[in-house]
Amino acid sequence: MLATVPSASLVGIDGFPVSVEVHVAGGLPSFTVVGLPDTSCREARDRVRAALLTSGFSWPDRRTTVNLAPTATRKVGSSLDLAIAVGVLVASGQLDGEAVGERAFVGELGLDGTLRHVPGTLPLVDALDADEVVVAPASVAEAELPGRHRVRCAPDLRRLVEAMRGEAPWPEPPDPPPVPPRPPEPDLADVRGHLLARRALEVSAAGGHHLLMVGPPGAGKTMLARRLPGLLPDLADHEALEVTRVHSAAALPLPGGLVRRPPLRAPHHGASAVAMIGGGSGRLRPGEISLATSGVLFLDELGEFSPVVLDSLRQPLEEGVIRVARSEIRVSLPARFLFVAAMNPCPCGEGVTPEACRCSERSVERYRRRVSGPLLDRFDLRVQVLRPDPRDLLHGEAAERTAAVAERVARVRARAVDRGVAANAELPRSELEAAAPMSADAKALMERALEQGRITARGFQRVWRVALTVADLEGHEGPLASRHVAEAFTLRAEPVAVTGPRAA
Amino acid sequence: MATPDGRAGAALPDEAYLAALARLPAVGPGRLRALVDRHGAAGAWQAVVAGTLDPAEVPRAGRDPVEAVLVRWRRAAEALDPATYWQAHLEAGIGVAGRSSPAFPTPFAVDDEPPAVVFWLGDLDHLAGLRAAVVGTRRPTAYGRDVAHELGRALADAGVAVVSGLALGIDGAAHAGALASGGAPPIAVVGSGLDRVYPRQHGPLWREVARAGVVLSEYPLGSPAAAWQFPARNRLIAALADVVVVVESQATGGAMGTAVEAARRGVPVLAVPGPVTAPSSDGTNQLLFDGCPPARDATDVLLALGQEATPPRPAAERRPRPTGDAAAVLAEVPWGPVPAERLATATGLDLGRLALALDQLEHDGWVALRNGWVERLGRPAGSGPARGSG
Repeated sequence: MLATVPSASLVGIDGFPVSVEVHVAGGLPSFTVVGLPDTSCREARDRVRAALLTSGFSWPDRRTTVNLAPTATRKVGSSLDLAIAVGVLVASGQLDGEAVGERAFVGELGLDGTLRHVPGTLPLVDALDADEVVVAPASVAEAELPGRHRVRCAPDLRRLVEAMRGEAPWPEPPDPPPVPPRPPEPDLADVRGHLLARRALEVSAAGGHHLLMVGPPGAGKTMLARRLPGLLPDLADHEALEVTRVHSAAALPLPGGLVRRPPLRAPHHGASAVAMIGGGSGRLRPGEISLATSGVLFLDELGEFSPVVLDSLRQPLEEGVIRVARSEIRVSLPARFLFVAAMNPCPCGEGVTPEACRCSERSVERYRRRVSGPLLDRFDLRVQVLRPDPRDLLHGEAAERTAAVAERVARVRARAVDRGVAANAELPRSELEAAAPMSADAKALMERALEQGRITARGFQRVWRVALTVADLEGHEGPLASRHVAEAFTLRAEPVAVTGPRAA
Repeated sequence: MATPDGRAGAALPDEAYLAALARLPAVGPGRLRALVDRHGAAGAWQAVVAGTLDPAEVPRAGRDPVEAVLVRWRRAAEALDPATYWQAHLEAGIGVAGRSSPAFPTPFAVDDEPPAVVFWLGDLDHLAGLRAAVVGTRRPTAYGRDVAHELGRALADAGVAVVSGLALGIDGAAHAGALASGGAPPIAVVGSGLDRVYPRQHGPLWREVARAGVVLSEYPLGSPAAAWQFPARNRLIAALADVVVVVESQATGGAMGTAVEAARRGVPVLAVPGPVTAPSSDGTNQLLFDGCPPARDATDVLLALGQEATPPRPAAERRPRPTGDAAAVLAEVPWGPVPAERLATATGLDLGRLALALDQLEHDGWVALRNGWVERLGRPAGSGPARGSG
């Protein structure tokens, strides 16, 4: 007998529908799974067999073939377990095909027949055309996010079959876990001093400008970076769905359902290229840059990352997606993140203060070469973070709160949306002229900087966009004034890490 | 050039063997002098190659036993062909003089610790006039850089050759000043082979000095810049100089070593005063306390050289007086580096207005801006901007 049960499998962060076909016929007892299953998928056979037996069903002692269509695509993971089990039950005559109907099934089976949550439930369910989807109780909240399906659940295979046969009502989905209160984000008001860096954070958040902080150890670079996501507005619906898909596919916990706040990812500098950009064997997991999409990617100790890893960031920084290709599959993962990095100015870390650096010429040179010029060029904002003045720590005025800054940031972002982009940093060169004309004073300032070789042609555009964000923060209307351009220059200093502590 | 006994090697001058000997590992000026004094350059080389040197005639230096050093020498000597090596020096246009050569510079010939051999690029005749060494830290403030540049310029104008080490910071600024003047030719003494530019950023300056003056070294082609060679280089600067001016120096550092070497040779040492709170002037202020005369400008140096010097007319303040924000900002800029962001706190200006004010002040020559630090500049003496390029 033949049974066909719809389910889905995952590649990258996208699900694709899989039709599980089970055929039970006479012959020597055997169980074969065909259609490019990977190891965890092939293991389904053992899990399904045990689950059927412990749930009180019998295992067909005949020739059983499971085909996973489309057969040319590799199927990864355990999301097909449940569909295979249902298919075997139908094909072996233990369950009426009518009872199953057009339902689709997504879930892993335990040996005792329990239905278990699988990573990527959101994209998996989203890929299904069926009107009704059966998932594990723990997956219900996630499966309901696409909103197109009637989501059913059952704690185990026995109860599922009873519900399908109409012998018992469908089990109630568990109460959605209470949405945990938004974890407190660190507040900018805790930061004393750091006038320049605070301003850089504000401009970075408002205009989506990538930010590099250079400073000695203990100056507070990490503390500052952790306060950046708090300045960003809540994610829009489509962004939230995309981020949630990525996080779901990467099996990150999704305590509140949709991810509404911009994520912060801060991988350690030992991260491999695959961990960073995504990939790996099998279904191509999203890397840190995809997990940081619509949020912040913070790389502390930028100079300690492997040059290969850093250079692999350049293309996604430019395009907002990362294309990972393997011999059999090719996926595009979103990677539109705000890039924030911190590094020491030189190996001894003291190079931001004149006269303080004790490094040899050669070691400075070596250190400088670790981060390539083209990558450093991607940072619109480059500021030095000095150790705060002890007087600021003791007597400094309490600084502005995150909430107050976030309000300004939201206003600037709204203006960018009016210009047709998500943030000022994404304004194309061709539209800069119209969106941000410069006053005569501002132009003169730019021209002088270009003549003196203080900025390159590429740097010129970046300064321009930053100046626009600065003006937007002020609520300024009309052509950019010289003070906006001057501030943009201040916020895009040649970092010591680029010029070396001793260059003039 | 054929020789009576027909040996090809005999066609090489003594200097070729000196260069080859100097390239051996762990050969300092002391060992080289001892070997050459005893065997002659060619003889010493042949003894090294043949392994017939007596360990007793090689001065002890460092921790390695002399026997081990002789083995290393022999191995290195087998890999080095003096004729090819000599040809490389000729092709690079490098002058070579041993102590017995008439070209050997007199200031070295009369020194207690002379180099056994001198290599140079440029014209050795430039050593003829008065020479003032201007040395200091590799990590100067804008103040030190300016003073060094101005000293270099004014001394060269007055016909005094500026001697320095082509290091980053003060050394470079002094030579840049001397080159800007176009007066007396600059003289550099470096601590590596003449084909090994160190620091690399000073490549252009290095070539300029060789073109306008002379670059000296006691190391042959290909010798890398080893740390121990810099103090040795400093002794040569002291030996060459008729007066040594330390512009800015931390309490320890190469420039203080040069001052000590100069004092040992009876060469007068002058120090440029700096703020007592500045670590960058700890060394120079200590020299002043120890009795060195201060060098406030080139006139003080010229007087120390016994030269008639017309005191410079006090320069008129020609910088436009700052107004508005710029005046408020300048009032907060101390005579030492301060981070720009601290000025924002001090003046209460936002970053945009502060940046504009600083831009104006820099443009008018009141402050120097570097890597987010601001430093006040004194009144420029004489003509031309006193901003160093090193």
